[in-house]
Amino acid sequence: MYRYDAIDRAVLADRTAEFRDQVRRRLAGELTEDQFKPLRLMNGLYLQLHAYMLRVAVPYGSLNPVQMRALADIARRFDRGYGHFTTRTNIQFNWVKLDDAPDILDALAAVDLHAIQTSGNCIRNVTADPYAGAAADELEDPRVWCEAIRQWSSLHPEFSFLPRKFKIAVTASPHDRTAAKVHDIGLLLRRGRDGETGFEVIVGGGMGRTPYVGPTIRAYLPSDRLFSYLEAILRVYNRHGRRDNIYKARIKILVAALGAEAFAREVEAEWEKIGPEGDLPRAEIDRIGAAFTNPDFVADPASGDFEARRAAEPAFARFVRNNLKAHIRPGYGIVDISLKGIGETPGDISADQMDLVADLAERFGQGDIRSTHEQNLVLPHVRLEHVHEVWKALDAAGLATPNINLISDIIACPGLDYCALANARAICVAQDIARRFETPERAEAIGEFKIKISGCINACGHHHVGHIGILGVDKKGEEFYQLTLGGSGAEDAAVGKMLGPALPIDRVTDAVEAIVDAYLRERREGERFLDTLRRTGDAPFKEAVYAEAH
Amino acid sequence: MPKLIRSTGGVFEEVEDTFVAIEDEAADPGGDILVSFSRLKGGGEALAARSHGRLGVRLEPEDEIEDLEGRLAGVALVALAFPKFRDGRPFTAARLLRTRLGFKGEIRAVGDVLRDQAGFMVRCGFDAFVPADGATASSWAEAAGRHSHVYQRAADARAPAFVERQGE
Amino acid sequence: MKALTANRLSDGEVVFWKDGTWVERLSEAQVFSDEAGAGEAEASARTQRTVVIDPYLIDLVDSAGFWAPVSYRERIRALGPTNHELHGKQAEGGGAVEALRQAHGAARSSGRVNLIRRK
Ligand code: HEM
Ligand code: SF4
Repeated sequence: MYRYDAIDRAVLADRTAEFRDQVRRRLAGELTEDQFKPLRLMNGLYLQLHAYMLRVAVPYGSLNPVQMRALADIARRFDRGYGHFTTRTNIQFNWVKLDDAPDILDALAAVDLHAIQTSGNCIRNVTADPYAGAAADELEDPRVWCEAIRQWSSLHPEFSFLPRKFKIAVTASPHDRTAAKVHDIGLLLRRGRDGETGFEVIVGGGMGRTPYVGPTIRAYLPSDRLFSYLEAILRVYNRHGRRDNIYKARIKILVAALGAEAFAREVEAEWEKIGPEGDLPRAEIDRIGAAFTNPDFVADPASGDFEARRAAEPAFARFVRNNLKAHIRPGYGIVDISLKGIGETPGDISADQMDLVADLAERFGQGDIRSTHEQNLVLPHVRLEHVHEVWKALDAAGLATPNINLISDIIACPGLDYCALANARAICVAQDIARRFETPERAEAIGEFKIKISGCINACGHHHVGHIGILGVDKKGEEFYQLTLGGSGAEDAAVGKMLGPALPIDRVTDAVEAIVDAYLRERREGERFLDTLRRTGDAPFKEAVYAEAH
Repeated sequence: MPKLIRSTGGVFEEVEDTFVAIEDEAADPGGDILVSFSRLKGGGEALAARSHGRLGVRLEPEDEIEDLEGRLAGVALVALAFPKFRDGRPFTAARLLRTRLGFKGEIRAVGDVLRDQAGFMVRCGFDAFVPADGATASSWAEAAGRHSHVYQRAADARAPAFVERQGE
Repeated sequence: MKALTANRLSDGEVVFWKDGTWVERLSEAQVFSDEAGAGEAEASARTQRTVVIDPYLIDLVDSAGFWAPVSYRERIRALGPTNHELHGKQAEGGGAVEALRQAHGAARSSGRVNLIRRK
């Protein structure tokens, strides 16, 4: 993993000192709330319904055990003993005091963490494949580029006041686990004909009020030209993105208005002018890259009694089927930790659970922990012979729910329980659906099924790309939910289509079950829900949900 | 009179503003004048030929900085307006004005100019500031010098982290 | 009936107006029956810029003998999140909390007085 050097640390120290001073000025009345709000937001501090919320960046979803323990410590000292992992792979603390915020930032800086640019109209935390460096199907470790982007985008003098927020995703696997096509920029690592690596560049995807799957504006960008190209995209956006209407300010609107080709021409013309002067020297990429070469792998380690236990213990076998993924090295596996315990709040984790994950990562996982945009955690490098012990420890802590990618692995934003912008709650809807599909046999029989819930049109819960998307709306003062079908945030990215009129809260779980039952009736051998839906269209599902209502 | 802070060789000082903004239709009063971009475009030659006093031009965020190309002769000051501090376009304009158009005169930040952006402004090539938040030359200098390291190249001469590291 | 609410600047806590100061429980809040009194309190609250953020009036209805916000959103603010029954003001329990839980009314947009104008 990347380790901060003295320069990285100095940047954080300077920044936390600056924020401490800004908080002081606000409390003393030297800054008005209007002036202070953007400053606190640029340090991740929001005001929610009940308290301030601090969003801590987990850079490209990567944490070490020391950092995880520091987060647990902050949860205990400054919050109510828990944190919430988000679809942006960050962690949020829901009960923070403004007075405490500078001390929290100091505590974070002590372990090389921060909340810089986790809000505001700037370049946000980069999303990376949570299996980076471990995935069997990966071309090259994308984190090298993520770390380089993190540095380049941090306190960028020209691009810190963009028309709107800006999110970049990087993936190096054909299987996209980052939702790259619904980011402002998606970078898909490719191998060129010359054997070198480069990126397919996708610009202008996004969710929110107007969802788009982003178009490709360049099929192949040599990787050593990445930074001049990013600068060109950001400059075109900073100059020409709309600033008159915040709902039309994302780059997706600019790309859609100009058309992908015209936008690409603008970018290429600007890129020409910047030239290689705007690129990062190879030496720096190599320096960063060296930090990501994994030193501790054993060649062909024994798998111990892994197979025997898998055969003998059905519960362990189920965990392995759903939560263990193929590793690039023989004898290793990727362990998915579910933060979707049945009836729990999706993405929430207690301080004790954080400590446990830190311990397991240290003992069995080369000190490497990842957070995923689906609000789960990952131990990317676990030897197969240790998986059983890891599973038992996770299970005892309520972290081994064997439901990764299954129907109870639901994404939900904080919704009206916390969020000041919400129309309706999201958490309780997720909990109710998860309880309905609690039986693991049933969930497995249904197969891959992604439900994503947002409490308002901002789409923090990714509902547009849920196989079933659920959007909270306020209908005559009641919590109602709009269902969409057929979205996907993976390599086959698609925006879901609205199924029909919004439903009251007490009909949502029944509707989901009706859709699932219709799928089980309609599906052919080997089809996932999405495949069936794409073949049949939404008629059978509409019928199932709305028939009896007529 | 709003305060003007100018940086000369990295030293920030409060100075007197000698420029007088004049309306598009108003007669040239002589002395140092600040005109709109359209006036500069319209009366370019007469303005460039002024012998009495210096010339400044004010650009709004929607003005294309490239349109200044070929019109910078005789221009001593370019004022870039921040109608709201959140409007980030002047950062790009200043950077391009310095690095691409090679402008050596004063680039002044006017409008909703807050010290919390001082560091970014200096890095993008601004060297004069009319703060809207009551900042003094010393608080401005402190804010501008807040960060001892930077990660990117910009319009200033600071070495980014990747260059500093090469020297290690 | 109306109450005046805000978040406290120093810690974000949900607070309610009471005769020029702020209390943490809705049950202790000053209740306004007249527009003029409520408006005056709101104007006065707005001058407390280093004490609270964004004060605004909310509509109340009667619930089991207590005043409860009409708006669902405001009831959540007065109680705490529904997914953690021990977090927020609801933790202390009692009649006033129960009454809030039982209350019925609109969801987000209604019941927050002047929501549209304030935007
Ligand atoms: C304080 C709570 C939050 C507020 C006020 C908030 C606000 C917003 C807003 C206004 C947008 C729409 C932006 C736009 O399209 O221009 C948005 C989008 C988004 N937020 Fe949040 N959010 C909050 C919490 C979260 C949480 C908890 C998550 C993750 C679980 C999250 C992840 C996202 C994502 C993934 C998007 C949509 C993707 C995109 O188009 O960028 N946010 N948020
Ligand atoms: S989707 Fe809406 S309700 Fe949910 S967190 Fe985002 S802004 Fe809040």
